[in-house]
Amino acid sequence: MNFQLSDEQTQLRDSVRRVLADHCGFEQHRAIAAGTEGWSAPVWRQLVELGVTALTIPEANGGFGRGAVDLLPVLEQFGRVLLMEPFLASSVLGATAVRLSGDAAAQDHWLARLAAGDALLAFAHDEVGARHAPRWVETRATGQGATWHLTGSKINVLHGGLADRIVVSARVSGAADASDGLALFLVDPAAQGVTVRAHRLVDDTLAAELTLLNAAAQPLGDPTNGAGALAAIQGTVNAGIAAACAEAVGAMQAAYDLAMAYLNTRKQFGRVIGANQALRHRAAEMLVSLETARSAAIAAAFAVDDPGSADAGADLLRAKMLIGRHGRLVAQAAIQLHGGIGMTEEYAVGHYLRRLTVLDQLFGDADAQAARLGRLLSAA
Amino acid sequence: MKLQLTSEQAAFRDEVRRFVKERLPAGIRNRLRLGHPPRKQDTVRWQRILNERGWAVPHWPKEYGGAQLGQIERLILIDEIHRGPAPVPQVFNTTMLGPVLLKFGTEAQKREWLPKLANLDLWFCQGFSEPGSGSDLASLRTSARREGDRYLVNGQKIWTTTAHLADYAFCLVRTEQAARKQDGISFLMVDLRQKGITIRPIISIDGVHHLNEVFFDDVEVPLDHLVGEEGRGWDCAKFLLGNERTGIANVGLCRERLDYATELAGRITQAGVPLIDDPKLCAELAWLDAEIRGLEITNCRMLLTPEEQAANPAFASVLKLKGVELQQDLANLLMRIAGPQGIERRPLDGETDDASDDPGAWQALPAPRYFYSRAASIYGGTSEVQKDILAKTTLG
Repeated sequence: MNFQLSDEQTQLRDSVRRVLADHCGFEQHRAIAAGTEGWSAPVWRQLVELGVTALTIPEANGGFGRGAVDLLPVLEQFGRVLLMEPFLASSVLGATAVRLSGDAAAQDHWLARLAAGDALLAFAHDEVGARHAPRWVETRATGQGATWHLTGSKINVLHGGLADRIVVSARVSGAADASDGLALFLVDPAAQGVTVRAHRLVDDTLAAELTLLNAAAQPLGDPTNGAGALAAIQGTVNAGIAAACAEAVGAMQAAYDLAMAYLNTRKQFGRVIGANQALRHRAAEMLVSLETARSAAIAAAFAVDDPGSADAGADLLRAKMLIGRHGRLVAQAAIQLHGGIGMTEEYAVGHYLRRLTVLDQLFGDADAQAARLGRLLSAA
Repeated sequence: MKLQLTSEQAAFRDEVRRFVKERLPAGIRNRLRLGHPPRKQDTVRWQRILNERGWAVPHWPKEYGGAQLGQIERLILIDEIHRGPAPVPQVFNTTMLGPVLLKFGTEAQKREWLPKLANLDLWFCQGFSEPGSGSDLASLRTSARREGDRYLVNGQKIWTTTAHLADYAFCLVRTEQAARKQDGISFLMVDLRQKGITIRPIISIDGVHHLNEVFFDDVEVPLDHLVGEEGRGWDCAKFLLGNERTGIANVGLCRERLDYATELAGRITQAGVPLIDDPKLCAELAWLDAEIRGLEITNCRMLLTPEEQAANPAFASVLKLKGVELQQDLANLLMRIAGPQGIERRPLDGETDDASDDPGAWQALPAPRYFYSRAASIYGGTSEVQKDILAKTTLG
């Protein structure tokens, strides 16, 4: 057991932090969020040049082949600055889905482009009817060979409006919650029958609702290999969980730092408010929550990198639960400690509550994971 | 970063697990599983078994009977003992007084006392708290004055856990009135089996005698029972309170109690349905499981990583706060799982060796253990004091 960052991990974290400090301060974030595009191509280009987009790509495809543990310090920095660029959507979810699909042609075509920042992918799995059920898919796929058509709709497709292709889960056979009969496809957003309604999430992140009406789709992997597709979907979602947890830790840390600074600055009744024991105890509780969340994110990252380990399955559920609970506690307390200013759009601290609320809802919220873990424990 | 144990560490864990499985007397295991606190004879018997391997005092140097284990091996050891479930080595002897003697004691004191502490030939208790000195420990008033070749101790200690079972107490006493209340305090080892000592039981809300008041009336203490310099006892106390962090989070204990809660919930039925089939209870077990895992990793991160310790010098308070919260939540949950079967007052079966003979024996435990669990956020620095300590490091 060892929790020290390697020199390489530290260097990458520090380079990312420097770039973000120059380009992603809170005012810059607000400007990007308020813009019609909703992301910054120049910021993305800077991250590409740092090699960040190559981290999740196998070496055989021109990347660095790094795992979730290597991403931890990078994603934490992203969380701190409320990053608006499509790292989670494309580099984590899109790249992981293609990598796990086992489709060599698609890997050859897309992964090097993702590493080089020449293409963006998105991942469309969630549906309204599924809520937090991990494999509930109503979208249907019909066809054979290389010719397939999809009908259905997907929600909260992160950065779906920017993507060159969208990886879509669909059902070749079986009921909506059947474990067999799933398949993955690549959908061209410009193809006939595809409607991409771009919107924002409550934290300003770009997302889209995807509606497919007999839309042409290219199989990603073998559409008759339901077990393989299910494993690829689960692996992709798990990578998303680990990334969301790491990003959440950064957001929590930033909210905590803001609150601590404010407690030592703001004066009422002739002294800094941080002299009041009620507020000091709240600060201490926040720190305990923050450390718990950090441990959770570490466990989730190791679970993704070592999926065969005894704790991996449970650790992902636990991590998402702990991030949901403690993220909410920290963000709510950070606002409370600020008083009125914490409620304003123009101040940063409330934006962390927004980001943490979104991260809790992605990939199964804390309550859904608790129910799953509970079933796991009672079956043991 | 690496979350898995190395193969050597995993082999050590297996070795300890096997040792506990083979050597822990079944009667002790059964009693602890039901929730009984270990009796004195249980702790003595088991600690002597551990001491054969140096595992009663794994952190002590080999020359004084320890095993000189590294931090991670110590974590593995205590985790496996908790999961036994087996009694942990007596803390006053092994993690409080022992390390103080190792740091502040004379060579003669170390040779004389340490082997007896390790083997539990002497049972020590801690004489720190006084009626007027709880969280504000340095305001203590029990005094010691020199008379020839001895000290005479006068005053009163309170909340003295196991004083009625103990041979000795290590005490903080005032040897001098100084301007600063932390000065003029000395650290003495006091024989409790002598004239001038009066021990009065305090029965706690679980109905059990754990705690005592101890009165000192011209109690004689030889000069060579002073540890460290006269008047510098506060250094020993600070070291003692800040020194031992391996056992602070009690992760293994939490894990074992969650195991037991899950087992009970699978066995107890409500209207014909096992409790474990209730999704709400299931989710509650899951939350505790997740929090325990979080604490387990936080514990390892903080105990094993110098960078983490530098970034958060008060990390021990994080571990105590979280560990206590989970222990109390678990005790509360076990009470609720026991339900109506848990509210009949039953004898605590103090002397029977194998408590499992009576199929209803388990019912006696959840309520008293729940009641006594409330002490965990009071002793060893209340949770409010821990929060003060944490806030001081972040806010000044």
